[in-house]
Amino acid sequence: MNGDAASTTEVLSVADDASFDADVVLEPIGPAAKSRAAVVWERIEPILVYAGDWLNPILVKETRQALKSFQFTTTFALVLAACWIVTIGGLALIGPSIFYSASGGTLLAWYYAILAFPLIVVVPYSAFRSLTAEREDNTYDLLSITSLRPRQIISGKLGSSIVQMAVYFSAVTPCLAFTYLLRGVDLPTIAVLTVYTFFGSLGLSMAGILLATLSEQRFAQVFVSVALVAGLLWICFWSVFGGYQVIQFSYAFMGGEEFWTTTLALTTAYVTTFTLMFFAAAGTITFSTENRSTPLRLCMLVQQAAWIGWMAFAWIYNGYELGFIFALAAFAAVYWYVMGALLTSERVGMSQRVKRRLPQSFFGRAFLSWLNPGPASGYMFTIANGTSIVLISLLGIAMSQLLASGTPGSLSADELFCLLIVGWGYVVAYLGVGMMAIRLLRRFAVVNTFAAVLIHFLVILAGSGIPTTIQMMSVDLRYEDYSLLQIPNPFWSLTHLVDGGVASEGAILVLVIPAAALCILLLNLRSVVRELQAVRIAPPKRVLQDEAELHPPPAALPQNPWDEPE
Amino acid sequence: MIRTATPQIELRNLHRVFDQTHAVNNVSFEVYAGEVVGYIGPNGAGKTTSMRILATLDEPTAGDAYVDGFSVVEDPDRVRRRLGFMPDYFGTYQNVNVYEYLDFFARSYGLKGRERISAIGEVMEFTQLRALAEKPINGLSKGMKQRLCLGRTMIHNPSVLVLDEPAAGLDPRARIELREMISKLADAGKAILVSSHILTELAEMCDRVAIIEQGRLLAVGSVAEISAGVQVQSTVHVRVLEGAERLQNWLAARDGVSELRTDGTLAVFDYAGDRAAEASLLRAMVESGLPVIEFGAKHKSLEDVFLHVTEGRVQ
Repeated sequence: MNGDAASTTEVLSVADDASFDADVVLEPIGPAAKSRAAVVWERIEPILVYAGDWLNPILVKETRQALKSFQFTTTFALVLAACWIVTIGGLALIGPSIFYSASGGTLLAWYYAILAFPLIVVVPYSAFRSLTAEREDNTYDLLSITSLRPRQIISGKLGSSIVQMAVYFSAVTPCLAFTYLLRGVDLPTIAVLTVYTFFGSLGLSMAGILLATLSEQRFAQVFVSVALVAGLLWICFWSVFGGYQVIQFSYAFMGGEEFWTTTLALTTAYVTTFTLMFFAAAGTITFSTENRSTPLRLCMLVQQAAWIGWMAFAWIYNGYELGFIFALAAFAAVYWYVMGALLTSERVGMSQRVKRRLPQSFFGRAFLSWLNPGPASGYMFTIANGTSIVLISLLGIAMSQLLASGTPGSLSADELFCLLIVGWGYVVAYLGVGMMAIRLLRRFAVVNTFAAVLIHFLVILAGSGIPTTIQMMSVDLRYEDYSLLQIPNPFWSLTHLVDGGVASEGAILVLVIPAAALCILLLNLRSVVRELQAVRIAPPKRVLQDEAELHPPPAALPQNPWDEPE
Repeated sequence: MIRTATPQIELRNLHRVFDQTHAVNNVSFEVYAGEVVGYIGPNGAGKTTSMRILATLDEPTAGDAYVDGFSVVEDPDRVRRRLGFMPDYFGTYQNVNVYEYLDFFARSYGLKGRERISAIGEVMEFTQLRALAEKPINGLSKGMKQRLCLGRTMIHNPSVLVLDEPAAGLDPRARIELREMISKLADAGKAILVSSHILTELAEMCDRVAIIEQGRLLAVGSVAEISAGVQVQSTVHVRVLEGAERLQNWLAARDGVSELRTDGTLAVFDYAGDRAAEASLLRAMVESGLPVIEFGAKHKSLEDVFLHVTEGRVQ
């Protein structure tokens, strides 16, 4: 067994030809005779073992596996070989002009193409396969009944991807450094390229893992697998193209204020989306009685705050232009409709486990209940966020009217106001109708999350498709533009408002759509109230006992010099 | 076996429905510390489904199951710390040897440092896998894999073991070794629920059995209790020195005697009664003057009980 340490007993050896008398020379063998390296290693090993204990078990296992795997060895060898070929071929082509020409950029583009393939295609696909293979090989069950939490499983898989990336980087990094020596490319360009590629690969690996958690069935795995490879190859192609552009034109945009602002905005979007995907993946593999929804809702809130922040910055930076408020609201409408469709598809009923941690105080129940799992609270959470976007946008419109000094944008304040109110109404109405449809169907059949989301999209598709079909089939209406028959059609109605339809149908839409939305909200209010009535319950006695054993209260310390320690 | 007050495993009105199939239908029974309970039933009876629910791999449609007092539905994480589950399949990782496999699961159960090394050592000692520590698990024989699987199941020293068909596909020697291991674990105070198709083996190692068919629990108890409960008959043979005809007439007149066959001075018959009834029968024979020189009773095996209790129906 590995844990068996060699015996450290000191052994004495006797000189070859010496009889055992007083003149015998005794040479110590063992610790005293150990090489300096062995002594140093003996000191380091316990530290490494201790450090290894704090590493994610999946990371440890998968690193061990990867280092022995054929796929990893082959890819690594190919990357190394490709780098060597490019280096030798490049030097041969450049020839003696290497002493005075700046040819680092060209070689960097080649090296980047070599690096992009394993990082953009191989690593994310390996992350996807790593989790799907657990299901195929029947090891997922064994893994899921250990003490590892779902977040540890996901972070372990991500850690394994990072290790793979690090190894690929280690193969290419000397070549990247070499391009700097050849001149024609600066260090910031190389750094930006590698950092963007690293985080791109990490993000794609996260997406791969999320897709793996979602595709439980064999046919879904095959379908997703093919789509993922195609998608990754497409991204790889464009990243190589983009990388080439960066190398060629980095001098034009690097280092400027806009570059760093854009980088910061992209970083915010990346971090919030990555976190959302991480919690979504962890939530998918979490036991169903656990609270899977609240972390996701918090991520959504942070993402919305970041989006508002950046759009407010752009709005101020560009002279309070209304177009940015429109962009804020348009993105938020799509975002909250999609997120609302997911949240309202959650399972009805709260587990005892979740009820043990419900907020108790008045303020907690008033403000945090919307973060509790459940379709109705999800519906209200979506509406609350949508409404806050509308209010912030209205405030923005008012401020634009007061502060804007430049030329007005393509949208007027009235048009934007109409769009905000009508857009809000559509989101509230369609999510409410979808939720009612799901509730109705759940009385007769099992409707899982995927089916529920599908129902939402079918409802909005029906609301848009049926009026459009009727109008197209009608002899009288066929050649007319927008008609009031299209009121249920959010796409046509909103496009009509953007195209100047506010003057003709704006007032009707502003009245009808929010009114319908409020009616639907009222119809759903009963289920909202039912979810809000859930109150915190005490954990079972056995759980309290276990908690006391796991986390015993600290021993009481003496409060003054006269107290006896217990 | 010392029966503690709280059962280590408790299934309480457990139901599991898959579409039109009621895989587990109102199943309730308990397993106590130090007890080995055999879970038997035909294929598709609901054994694996119940065991998967206990292992927190599936959720009941209604009812609940408890491990050491914790609900598998509400506190799966606490259950997982206390339970070791050995499924009827062996999950293999590529490019992993025996030591690394056990090390991974020890780490996954939160064992650190010396505790982990010691746990792996103990498990390898118990399952006699020490010599194979460096061997890739894909190259292991079926018996070795089963041992490794048992080792993985007990790496975190759980108080409850749920073993689904642990002896399937093993050769006779490996079966005997596995049976010995299970007995040792029970002696160490672990509650063990084990399912198997090899009923003779279960009869030898189990304190009690639970018989399930079509999702319904038909009987729970020791083989003797179930036999008594379902009035499974024992086969009795009596040999007299002389007077075979008188013996035949005497037995034919007795209650509980059926399927009487005679061969000279030997009579073989089925007798519905426990051991005390058999003793009374022998006493009555002697008192009635029959020259009995041989009396023996062969009690029904677990297989007989199983065949009597179940009807071989599948759903």
